Formats: sequence, structure tokens, C-alpha cells
Amino acid sequence: MSTSIIGAAVGRVDGKLKTTGAARYAIDHPLDNVAYGAGVFSTIANGKIVRIDTAEAEKMPGVIDILHHGNADQLYRPAGQFEHSRASEARPPFEDDGVYYYGQFIAVVVANTLEQAQDAATRVKVTYAEEKPLVHLEDAPAPTGEPVANYSRGDAEAAFESAPIKIDETYITPVETHNPMEMHGTIAAWDGDKVTLYETTQGVVNHQQVMSEVLGLPLENVRVISPFCGSGFGGKLFPWPHSMVAALAARRVKRPVKVYVPRSMMFTTVGHRPYTKQRMRLGATADGKLVSIQHDVLSTTSKVDTYVEHCTSSTPMLYTCPNVKAVQHLVPLNVGTPTPMRGPGTVPGIFPLESAMDELAIRLNMDPLELRLRNYAEKDESLNLPFSGKHLREAYQIGAERFGWSKRNPKVASMRDGGLVLGWGMSTATWHAGRGGATVRVRLNADGTARASSATQDIGTGTYTVIAQVVSDKTGIPLNKIEVVLGDSSLPPGPTSGGSTATASVMPAVAGATNSVVNTLISIAQRTQGSPFYVKETQGGDPPSLKMTKGFIHAADKAPESGVPFHEILAMRRLSGIDGEAKTGPSEEMHKFSGHSFGSHFCEVTWDPGIARLRVSRWVTVMDAGRIINRKTATNQILGGVVMGIGMALLEETLYDPRNGKPLNNNYGDYLVSTNADVPAMECIFVEYPDLNLNEYGARGVGEIGLAGVASAITMAVYHATGVRVRKLPVRIEDLLGHV
Amino acid sequence: MSKPSDSETSEQENTGSRPLFGKFSRRSFLSQLGVAGLAATTAPLAHAAPAAPQAEAETAAAAVPGAAPVALKVNGQTHKLMLEPRVTLLDALREHLQLFGAKKGCDHGQCGACTVHVNGRRVNSCLSFAIMHQADEITTVEGLAQNGELHPIQAAFIEHDGYQCGYCTSGQIMSAVALLKEPIGKEDHDVREAMSGNICRCGAYNNIVAAVQHVRRSA
Repeated sequence: MSTSIIGAAVGRVDGKLKTTGAARYAIDHPLDNVAYGAGVFSTIANGKIVRIDTAEAEKMPGVIDILHHGNADQLYRPAGQFEHSRASEARPPFEDDGVYYYGQFIAVVVANTLEQAQDAATRVKVTYAEEKPLVHLEDAPAPTGEPVANYSRGDAEAAFESAPIKIDETYITPVETHNPMEMHGTIAAWDGDKVTLYETTQGVVNHQQVMSEVLGLPLENVRVISPFCGSGFGGKLFPWPHSMVAALAARRVKRPVKVYVPRSMMFTTVGHRPYTKQRMRLGATADGKLVSIQHDVLSTTSKVDTYVEHCTSSTPMLYTCPNVKAVQHLVPLNVGTPTPMRGPGTVPGIFPLESAMDELAIRLNMDPLELRLRNYAEKDESLNLPFSGKHLREAYQIGAERFGWSKRNPKVASMRDGGLVLGWGMSTATWHAGRGGATVRVRLNADGTARASSATQDIGTGTYTVIAQVVSDKTGIPLNKIEVVLGDSSLPPGPTSGGSTATASVMPAVAGATNSVVNTLISIAQRTQGSPFYVKETQGGDPPSLKMTKGFIHAADKAPESGVPFHEILAMRRLSGIDGEAKTGPSEEMHKFSGHSFGSHFCEVTWDPGIARLRVSRWVTVMDAGRIINRKTATNQILGGVVMGIGMALLEETLYDPRNGKPLNNNYGDYLVSTNADVPAMECIFVEYPDLNLNEYGARGVGEIGLAGVASAITMAVYHATGVRVRKLPVRIEDLLGHV
Repeated sequence: MSKPSDSETSEQENTGSRPLFGKFSRRSFLSQLGVAGLAATTAPLAHAAPAAPQAEAETAAAAVPGAAPVALKVNGQTHKLMLEPRVTLLDALREHLQLFGAKKGCDHGQCGACTVHVNGRRVNSCLSFAIMHQADEITTVEGLAQNGELHPIQAAFIEHDGYQCGYCTSGQIMSAVALLKEPIGKEDHDVREAMSGNICRCGAYNNIVAAVQHVRRSA
């Protein structure tokens, strides 16, 4: 691990495939004789299907079959609650006549062409017995159920009552929709009682398991293939109904069936980040020491599943405070089931905490960065454990210097650039540092190449490249001679790409498998007559120590080039290649620590009061995220999180029609995400302290933390520019118009 | 969980079964998949474009009611297809010519993932019917590289990491290549505006701008 390839700004090994159109995503696989499935989706949010009239649709040209709850084969319920698998919805599609949300799969029309299927799907007539839906948290009665989170230390209520300075505000984060560029889609192809699913998923292993449960098949009869995933952001972690619908339909029509979820239904039947309403109470001393934090959360779920957006997860550990209480309740609505979205829990949960910290700083007439330093947590007070590595102070300091924070005049609207008012904001970022199990196989081939394989997947995070880097690091084989094969459930089981854990999970297994195959090769070199390293059995003493560097097997105390290229050793034995495999699990060492990454954001907005135009104009992010394995892809991911955060702060909100639960802005024209022109030139700096408790490379994940804290940094900057405190995201121009 | 051996073995086990993938034998399909879809390092460009004549034969055989003969000239090669007039250019490219480089992201002209060139200008192929383009020169991302040499924009996207998941990348690249000939300003903010019809949900915008500016400045 001394070579420079770890940590280098290496270009992606799949770059050529992605830039030439050759990378195959789910519905890009060219299967012959494929039929097309078009979904029919519910147009009510609550009630029952009385009748599905398919007469007209059946007569449409090219229609092969129409499946719905009245005629489809049974799907079993996923066993997730008893197994280690997880489906997105407990209720499989077509189970009964119930409708629980707008945009639920209620039928699928299978036809010879895409156009025929789509056309016929519009001719299916559905009659409902409709009941009044409940689609907004604000219309729901106060929840009476047990809390889904209930944390307490000290006496937060009493400490708040006696605190000299009090902040008590309520913050709202809206429903956000993942909207990955690639719509969810599946091609299902049966061969006897075996099914292959070309799927877009963040977890081929979990997808295989869930589909075997739902279809009632042995695990080995289901194969899930996902070589490329057009990103997921959490939305593709767990299987959704369309995959099951595709498998059912393909079995019925005895042809491969391609089903994709149209963009409009990407807002209904494949999850979202739920709405949250969060009351935050901070009590502090006059010199800015927190004495009480109280965080009360309401978040929404569906009527058929219990999904908890764990908004309180960071509250007890982010700052030092003797008295903390965090409670959360759920409100079920007639909307689709929510699902994790990038930085689940922490991202919406840190918005009120960081916003309230800024409001407290203003009340104290204190710099908001100074307030954070005064309440710096030296250990995780919720677990009473030391952090496995926390260098947040340095991240604050570097960010502040780079941004020029000391030049900030805290007075509202005091900083200007010509006719533009400048607003500056900052925030803390955090995300859990975790590691799970992984199995990886590494093969050294007689043609001088290497191959690494695992049933994990690259969702755009750079997993292909990171794996190749580790193999190269351990062997010296150049990247262009290392093939990485992922996204196929028939490979050794690898981790789900979620929770910013894939890199930390897979790297130890890649390293272990590579070490294993190199050791085997060394053993072959020592046992093969004709090899310069041949050790006669009668010889006494230990044989000279060998190692592999630059692709050579050589004496450890001599230069690599003094040895033999590895493939020549294989040739001496007439071997095509040899394999090494390693299975690794969570880090035992981490039980002694609290694992988190941290970071700081500093940003500038410009406010043009003449035309009410708000722009993000400058951004500096400093991340304390362990050792960075690939500077290029890690920087890209962090700043990609910031880009999504700009959308969260200023643009994104899914709006539902209260009459029928229809998402009103169910397209990219009305649900706005950040475009190129919404984003300024941004800077990402890493303070690099390897977290060696987590793995031998000290690498943590960087997928989520970039988004944490972005929205509160922006609303803080908006306040600084305009004097308007926005506590309900996203910031709308009409929030600011009174202050033009 | 399952621990089968490598894919060569499972392929062997299945050779006696029905040819699930039709004109592609299972072996040839999987080997093509292995190169074009899975092998992340060494795939030659020649595998980027699947053989078109097979697709043409398939379309003709399906005999779709209302289909009309349509000749499309894509990446310099003319294809004779039978298409319903309602088939979009995007779906013709993807489902009939098996050119999957142009991506479907919204079907509404809102995301730009389907961007191709029609007579050198960028268009959203999902908003255009194939039958309207019989006299046109259509270029997709598969047609950009010449004799195995990447277009400078493609190379710059790799160098500057102008993508993450890669799904919007074909459209970004087609927009960027067309942009090189468009009368837009020199500054980064000009490129940002001109590239804002192509959404990148992964947020690689800074790198996309760097890639485009790299090529513009070295031209």
C-alpha cells in the first residue's frame, strides 16, 4: 500500500464505455424477441378496484396479454422481516384489489412493440370504490402511536426551562424525489424455471434474494445482472414492484419482457424522501454553551409500510451537550412507501439542528463558526465512545481560511458586490462511517492480466476503478491489464452500494483476495522446477522471502526486475491462471469507536433585489473522510452531493394533489433539480487522516456526506443577505419578495 | 448466498438449453456482454455498435400494423426499417437499431439524455419522430469516435471525470460536441448556460464545464 496509485487522481477504468455509449444499463440489453410491458397505474390514492375492463385494450394491435390482480399468478410476500433481505414494499403488486397510493401498479399490458403497449395501457378502464385519501401531514391528526425514536440523556426539559438563552423553532423539509437519470426498469427473461433480470439496482445480491422470495424460486434460479446503474441515490437499494411485474409478465407470455417506470411514475411507485416537520429547541448559556437540545420529529410513511426517516440520528452526537432529548413519531399517508434517499435521516435531520445553531449564534451576537467550536464534541456522547477519527476542527479552519470567513460582516445585507447583496453561510456535515461484508475473487491470468470479480456494483461512485486500484497496488499490474467484473448476482456476494459503505467494505476483500492469489503464486514459484525460486524439499532452513511488485515475483530483498514476470511462472506450470478469494466482514475494531466522517461547508449567495434573483455563487467544502482512494472520483462525489443540496435548498419539492394524491409536478420540467447553470465553480478539500480502525487503507465512504449541511448553509446565507429566515424548504423567491 | 463458479462454468451448464437470446447464441451474447457490458478496462470500441442488419431483419419480420418503410441514415450507414409513424427517433435508435447510446431519461425533452445530432445540430431524439428524418444525417454517441480514436470531447470527459453514473453522459457529450460549433461566449458561465438542457443528477457539472472548456481552449 505504499504505491502512489492509492490516493491518485485516476481516471475511471470504465470511462471509455461510458463516453462511447457502450456501457449497458438495464433496459439496454439487446435481447431477441423481447416484448414490452406498459404499466397501468392507479388514479386514486385510497380505495378498491371494482372492475378492470380490458376489452378495448385487448383488441389493440400487438397486445399479447394483460395482467392484473384478477388474473396474475401469485407473488409471495418478501420475507425481509425474517431474513437479511429487504424489499421496498411488503405488499407485492397485484396482491388484491386494494389501492393505497396514486400511481400504484394495478395492471401491465404486454405487447409486441413499445408503442403498442403504451397505447393499449391507456385503453384499460378501471372503476374504483374511492375513499377520501390523506396525503398531507398537515391534514393528519396528531400521531398517537409509540415513538419510533426516543433518545434521552440528562434532563433536557428542565435544562431548557432554566437556560438563559432559548431557541424554539419548527422546520420543515418537503418530500423529495430521487429522480436518478436512469428510470427504473427491468428486462425479465425466463429459461425454464430460471429467470434472469436485467435490472437497475444498487444491490444485485439483495435483489436476487428478494426476487427468489417473491417468485417462490430457489435462490440459484434467479440471476440479477446490473453492469451499470444510472444512479440510484437510495431509490434503487431495494426491489420495487416493476421488477416483479416484469418477471410475472415474462413468465406468462413466454418471452423476455421489458418494463420501465415512466418518469411520471418515478414520483409514485419507486420511493421518495418523506416529508418531515421538526421542532428544535436549544438552550444555551450566555457565552454560547449548549445546555439542552430537544428534537421532536414527525415524518411520514405509507399506509402499507413502516419507513422511518431517522432524523434524530446525528442529534445526540454532533455537539457536546449534557441534556439531549430526541423523539420521533410516524404519520402514515396515502402516498407510496418512502425509501432512503442520499444521506437518509441525517440530511433532513441536520437541517433544523444547524439552522437553530445559526439562530442561536445570531441571538448571542457570536460568529456561527465560533459557536460550533465552543460546543465541539471531543467524543461521541451518545455512545460514550471516542471517535475513530475526528478532525473537524481542522476542516472548519481550512474552510474558513480558504473562503475568507474572517472578512464576514455579520450585519444583514451589509456585504455587497456592485448591485448584488452577498450572503455568507456555513455548516457542519457528518455521516456515519460503516463497513459490511464482502467476498471478492481475484484471478491472475497467464496472459499477464488480472481479473477481480464480486457481486457488488458501480452506481457511478467509481467502484470499478477503486477495485482495480487495489489490485494494482498489491501486484503492480497496470490498470489497463486489470479487468473488473461487477453487477452480476452469480459472482461472489458483494455489498450493496448504499450508506457510503461500499468502498470501505469491498477494499479489504479485494486486498485479501489479491494477497491470497499472490501467496499461491509464490508457492508455485517455489515448487516448480525450472523456476529461479525453486526450493528443493531436502534443503534446510527457510526459503528466501518472495514478493510481487510491478508484476514480477522476486526476492524480497532485491529489485522487482531481478525476478520473473508473474505470468511466466504460470506458463511454467501450463496454468491458465490462478484464483484467490477473500471474505471479509465488519471491522471488529470499530466496536470500540464511534465511526463518523465530518466536514464543513462555506458558501456565498448573491441576491439581486432589483429582480429578486437568488444565486449560489461560491462554495468551499472541506471533508474529513479518512483516506481518499481516488481523488478524482471522491471530489466529484462530494461536490455532486453539494449540487443535490443546492437543489434541496432552493428547488426540490414534490407536491401532491390533496384530492387524489397525484404528484402535481411529476416531471423534470416542474420538479426542478440543479442544472449546470445553477451551480458555481466549487472547491473540495480533503483533510486526510486514514481511519485505520475501519480498514487497512483507512478509507471511508464519501457518497452521502457532501449533501449533509448544504441546505442550512444556504438558508443561513440567505438570511445574511436578506434578513429572511427560511425554515421551510425549499427557499422560494416569494419568501424573499417582501424584502426586495 | 450463492457461490457459483465463474461465468464460464455457468455458460457451459446452459449450452444445451433453448437459445434464449435468439440470433445471438447464448455464448456469443454473453461474450459480447462480457466485453461491452462488463469488462470495464479493455473493451475495444468496435463493440460499441451492435450489428444493425440483424435488427433490421427482426423489425421487418414483426409486421406491425400501420408500419411504413423508413430509411434512416445513422452514423453514415443507411438502415431500412418498417416503423409506425409514432415511433420516436429515440425509440427507433434504441429498440429497432439497437443503438443504446442515446438514453431515455424522461420522454419529454426535459433531461437531454437522448440528445443526438441531426445534420450536425443537437436535438432531443425523444421529441422527434423517426419518420421525419429520412433525409437527415443522424449521429449518435456511437458514431463520434473515428477509427477507434475518441472524439476530443469524449477524451476530455474521461480526463476531467465529467460524469459519475454515466447515464446522462451520451447526451452531455452530444450537446458538448455540437456546442463547439455554436456561437456562444468564451466564459465558463456561457458553457453552463449552453449545457443546461442536459441534466446530470449526479452533479458532475463542474467537471463537465472543465471538459468542454479544455477542448474549446485547445482547439
